Amino acid sequence: MVGLPYDFLVNPLGAVRSTFEKAISSGSNPASFDGKDWGALEPFQHFLFDQNGLSKVPILNASSVKWVQPNTLVRFRGMIQDMLGNEFYVGAYKDGSTWKTTKFMDSSQCPAGFSPDMRIWERRLLYCVPVPGQNSWTESSRLGEMNHSAEGTSENRQKRCRMDENAADHMDLLAPSDELQNYSGGKKLKDEQLSPGLQSQNISTVATSSLSTVCNASRGFLPCLVKIYDTEESELKLNDVFEFIGVITLGTEHKVDKDDYDEFSNGLSEDLSFQFPPDMVPRLHCVIHRKLAVHDFLHTYHVLEPTTHQIKEIRTALLNHLTVALGNDGVAAHFLLLHLLSKVHARVDSMAVGKLSLNLTGFNRESMSIFGNQLRLTVKSLLPFTEYIPLTVEYLNTASLAPKKDYEINRLVPGVLQLAEGSHLMIDETQLEVGTLSSLGVENARLLKNLMELQKVEYDFKYYKMDMTTDVQLLILSEGKSNILPADLVVPFQPSSVGSSAITDMDALEAWRWYLSNVRSLPHSIETEMQQVVENDLVAAKQADRNLGSQDLSRLLTIGRLISASYGETCLSLEHWQMVKELERLRRERLR
Amino acid sequence: MILTFPPKQHFLYHLPPNPLLSFASSESPFSLSLLLRLLLPMSAMKDSGPLDFSAERVLAKEFLANFADANGEAKYLNILQEVANRRVRAIQIDLEDVFNYKDLDEDFLRRITENTRRYIGIFADAIDELMPEPTEAFIDDDHDILMTQRSDDGPDTVDNTDPRQKMPPEIKRYFEVYIRASSKGRPFTIREVKASYIGQLVRISGIVTRCSDVKPLMQVAVYTCEDCGFEIYQEVTARVFMPLFECPSQRCRTNQTKGNLILQLRASKFLKFQEAKLQELAEHVPKGHIPRTMTVHLRGELTRKVAPGDVVELSGIFLPIPYTGFRAMRAGLVADTFLEAMSVTHFKKKYEEYELRGDEEELIARLAEDGDIYNKLARSLAPEIFGHEDIKKALLLLLVGAPHRKLKDGMKIRGDLHICLMGDPGVAKSQLLKHIINVAPRGVYTTGKGSSGVGLTAAVQKDPVTNEMVLEGGALVLADMGICAIDEFDKMEESDRTAIHEVMEQQTVSIAKAGITTSLNARTAVLAAANPAWGRYDLRRTPAENINLPPALLSRFDLLWLILDRADMDNDLEMARHVVYVHQNRESPALGFTPLESSVLRAYISAARRLSPYVPKDLEEYIASAYSSIRQEEAKSNTPHSYTTVRTLLSILRISAALARLRFSETVAQSDVDEALRLMQMSKFSLYSDDRQKSGLDAISDIYSILRDEAARTNKMDVSYAHALNWISRKGYSEAQLKECLEEYAALNVWQIHPHTFDIRFIDV
Repeated sequence: MVGLPYDFLVNPLGAVRSTFEKAISSGSNPASFDGKDWGALEPFQHFLFDQNGLSKVPILNASSVKWVQPNTLVRFRGMIQDMLGNEFYVGAYKDGSTWKTTKFMDSSQCPAGFSPDMRIWERRLLYCVPVPGQNSWTESSRLGEMNHSAEGTSENRQKRCRMDENAADHMDLLAPSDELQNYSGGKKLKDEQLSPGLQSQNISTVATSSLSTVCNASRGFLPCLVKIYDTEESELKLNDVFEFIGVITLGTEHKVDKDDYDEFSNGLSEDLSFQFPPDMVPRLHCVIHRKLAVHDFLHTYHVLEPTTHQIKEIRTALLNHLTVALGNDGVAAHFLLLHLLSKVHARVDSMAVGKLSLNLTGFNRESMSIFGNQLRLTVKSLLPFTEYIPLTVEYLNTASLAPKKDYEINRLVPGVLQLAEGSHLMIDETQLEVGTLSSLGVENARLLKNLMELQKVEYDFKYYKMDMTTDVQLLILSEGKSNILPADLVVPFQPSSVGSSAITDMDALEAWRWYLSNVRSLPHSIETEMQQVVENDLVAAKQADRNLGSQDLSRLLTIGRLISASYGETCLSLEHWQMVKELERLRRERLR
Repeated sequence: MILTFPPKQHFLYHLPPNPLLSFASSESPFSLSLLLRLLLPMSAMKDSGPLDFSAERVLAKEFLANFADANGEAKYLNILQEVANRRVRAIQIDLEDVFNYKDLDEDFLRRITENTRRYIGIFADAIDELMPEPTEAFIDDDHDILMTQRSDDGPDTVDNTDPRQKMPPEIKRYFEVYIRASSKGRPFTIREVKASYIGQLVRISGIVTRCSDVKPLMQVAVYTCEDCGFEIYQEVTARVFMPLFECPSQRCRTNQTKGNLILQLRASKFLKFQEAKLQELAEHVPKGHIPRTMTVHLRGELTRKVAPGDVVELSGIFLPIPYTGFRAMRAGLVADTFLEAMSVTHFKKKYEEYELRGDEEELIARLAEDGDIYNKLARSLAPEIFGHEDIKKALLLLLVGAPHRKLKDGMKIRGDLHICLMGDPGVAKSQLLKHIINVAPRGVYTTGKGSSGVGLTAAVQKDPVTNEMVLEGGALVLADMGICAIDEFDKMEESDRTAIHEVMEQQTVSIAKAGITTSLNARTAVLAAANPAWGRYDLRRTPAENINLPPALLSRFDLLWLILDRADMDNDLEMARHVVYVHQNRESPALGFTPLESSVLRAYISAARRLSPYVPKDLEEYIASAYSSIRQEEAKSNTPHSYTTVRTLLSILRISAALARLRFSETVAQSDVDEALRLMQMSKFSLYSDDRQKSGLDAISDIYSILRDEAARTNKMDVSYAHALNWISRKGYSEAQLKECLEEYAALNVWQIHPHTFDIRFIDV
């Protein structure tokens, strides 16, 4: 950093201002900046990515929100949960004879009154939440966070005082979660305590659509209102996981007087600051955003490019781990591995190609308590976003699975099935008992079935429904074959011993996480010769069993793809195709 | 002088109990029009000039006075006369008229579009000047008496020094001015209305999601001053305003008193006001996004025009609402926006009201000339579903339908075709159904079980709030004038099953329950899909056993199709190839033809539906003989599986008429009847295809006898190939079999075959 008049971290607005002034002084007319960048992004990009400034930017979460200074640069990782439309603001105005800008700011300091030299710009509001089901081990780069908090402790004090004024009660609310964060290492036990709470909170959020619960920040749950400037609409989609780097503003908007609000509320106005109190939902003026994939949540900084041999080793080790977790059931472990690698690659005529939902049957209450929990922990430690639904009649009748638009508050009320791409959803059907489903229950069952079959969730907009595509790995644990949730693969689970899932060393765990997140996106192809073999085998299979549909044939090909991917290969070999057939034979044998 | 206005005091005795209007404690810091002017693009400001509005008024006046519509009538002067006679309130100025005006000034048009709100005032002023005297007597209401009072008092009370004492023109006006955007071109979606449209007239489409109550909105506040007795007027332009506390009259000011102003609600002018929320339509939302919403303000005559759930097209002015008071300080210069509605049009999604877009008419004309349009359209239905050509043809005819007939004695004959698809699970029945619903402009998809308590037909329900009995229409009633696709038809509720008989023939739903006796229209084409009685079609049992529906219901279907999943090596290989291809290329294999877009299909079908073809005299005989031959055939066989009744004859006529519609012909041709008979026969063969093996004759000799009989019947020695193919395919034989037969018998010198056209000539012996 050679003599810059501003610090990107502490005074990002200074950087914005100086680039604006530079652009103006070089003779540009502010009118030409409508919906465009005048060159403010470039220095930020340079700082963040070329000078490795990104790691110095603090991550905004429930604990850091207490010491982050307003108008500093922060980053927020989250899922776009709702889109709140546009906001018009006076982006540039003439103060005396000089042009000023209010871009990336909440309110302007410009004096009331109007001058004809004003540009109206618009920005988009996105309501973002932490990714649902995010496991605590993903909270990466704690390093950067620590550094920063060490630097800024003295500042911190003053900060706290200032914050206390308007958010004292809120701080109390957050304090326990802070403690939790502090000693949550890699211990799984901790996760377990934390997440059921989160889950039940999720469910209750959904069950009552009242205004307060929608944005009520629970422990460790910090939503964020992100304001996006000059970006193509198609770039940011609902349920995408993004990292937003931008200027944070906290509590700059005064708390709304209830009286003041009431006066207008007999109309239909929805006041943002009433719905999202600024001290609960910070505002982030996004300068730069980037889409995050699953592997961005891993710790592996040493991005290794392992050889095929190494991949095989990792595969063997992981398969062993899964076999142990599944009580020495090798076949089930194989299918589980393939299931964990599955991903929707393409959508062809409403069919999601590449999905592989798995139904492990043969569980009862007893084995569920042993293997079910073990399985849950295993999956949790391997994948970044996992959710768990214990399916009961009562749950089906009460939970709202699909997101629903509430026109009273003009918000999309989240549903359990509003999940980010690549999430894993485990559904425990063993607790299901005989009972009557209400109409909501029927609707929920239909939603789950649709999700299984098409990887789509219908969002309820009251006057019409909209299909949103998802990519969720679905694992169903049930006693018999689940008819409510028809999975692609039904595998009877046959454990032979009760193995304890040994707590493995972190390095292996890291390697497995890396393996699962990277291998699944390998490209895949089938050579012409192989294609012939596959086609003939499919026809033979179909001739042998008239009940096979195109779905089943498609599933065999998916398994083929996943097997070769699991070996780190991009082309289907005869050997792997034989494996597919062998696995399928073993599975059918069990089904008999 | 103190009691200048006794009559007004007199009027106060029945004040509205609750004016419902909230007076904010703070006045908006700037007037909306000021802000608006500032927000306008610079170019627009320069053009309209700062204060050249009197010139604009002259232009507006000239337009109103001189505009003549297509019939040469002075449209706006006629409206003004109506207004003067108190028959209408709303004056809608159509921008299309401005565009068609003989002395079109393009700049003027543009200025109106870009600064619409200002021009509403200008037009209102112009109308004030043009307003004719009423030609009819009408009863004076309070307002008129008030006005008379005011003008009588005129000279001695008005002192012209203060603008607030001058009566604002608003208060005298009986009319409301709306400027309506031209309906040409596609309306915007909410997403497309950007900051640059602020202040402009835009046209958007969407669905209404919320509506507020209609409330009075003060337009002119009128006060009387207790001290000086003057009437004081205050124009209100925003939703909130600051009431006056000091009397501005000359007298009070010279007397150095603040006066004592009393708001006269009775004398003030109020407008009806309603707020609504408009949301983007599902089809306008890009993938992965959430529908946007927009606030809409409806005033005066436009209130109570919309209800939640309505799909509407609005034209209106896109305006900012500046935050007031505290919120303004808080939010800086951020503004909310709304649409000030100028006109409301409800979307009609019926074929009859389907408007063709410019290029579509041409496209349809081109398609109609194409001889193969019947096949082409049929193939474009659900193109991703392989094969099933005849079924798709039938479904196309279902979409087209035949005209309804009403006989002189009042009897109605339905024109809608009913089709039932029956078949094994997993043969894409539901997919076909859903696709048809997507193509149809009005279609309802439901399952036999029906998810709601209303079911398929209708139900009487108790309203939970008012405890009143209300009639709620089911899927069939909702699909009136459209198509109702019923999946799982065999699993229908017993109550619906009885009612559906009526729906399918009389096309009404009768209700006699809970004191309500009525009948609802259900003029809908029923497309049903059913599973065989034992889940899968059991070939060892008779079709009647497999079909789990009573004959009375079955006979109401014009066509009944059985789709079986038969073991077939070719099909299996086809499927395997398809699956492998999809996995390899992440897309469906090319279809070998380009299917027509559903919008084109819809346009073509709606154009076809406008015709109502009739059966010419000379065809009557032909149809009658075809019908009687089917009857005889049935009588001959010892196990008749079909019920050929008069309904069958009507079906033939319906299908023929639909085919004629597709050809854009006003008359039914013999080819239409032949195709109709072929389809009916094919649908029968899909059910009984296995029977013909039992008939003793092998395929080749059977084809021969069919052709010989046909030639004998028409008394001709020549049979054209196309004709022959038509005849034998009606009996369920394939083209390959026909060719085989032709060759075999040509070798026997029974007939000669034309080497190129394959036409047949019998050799006379």
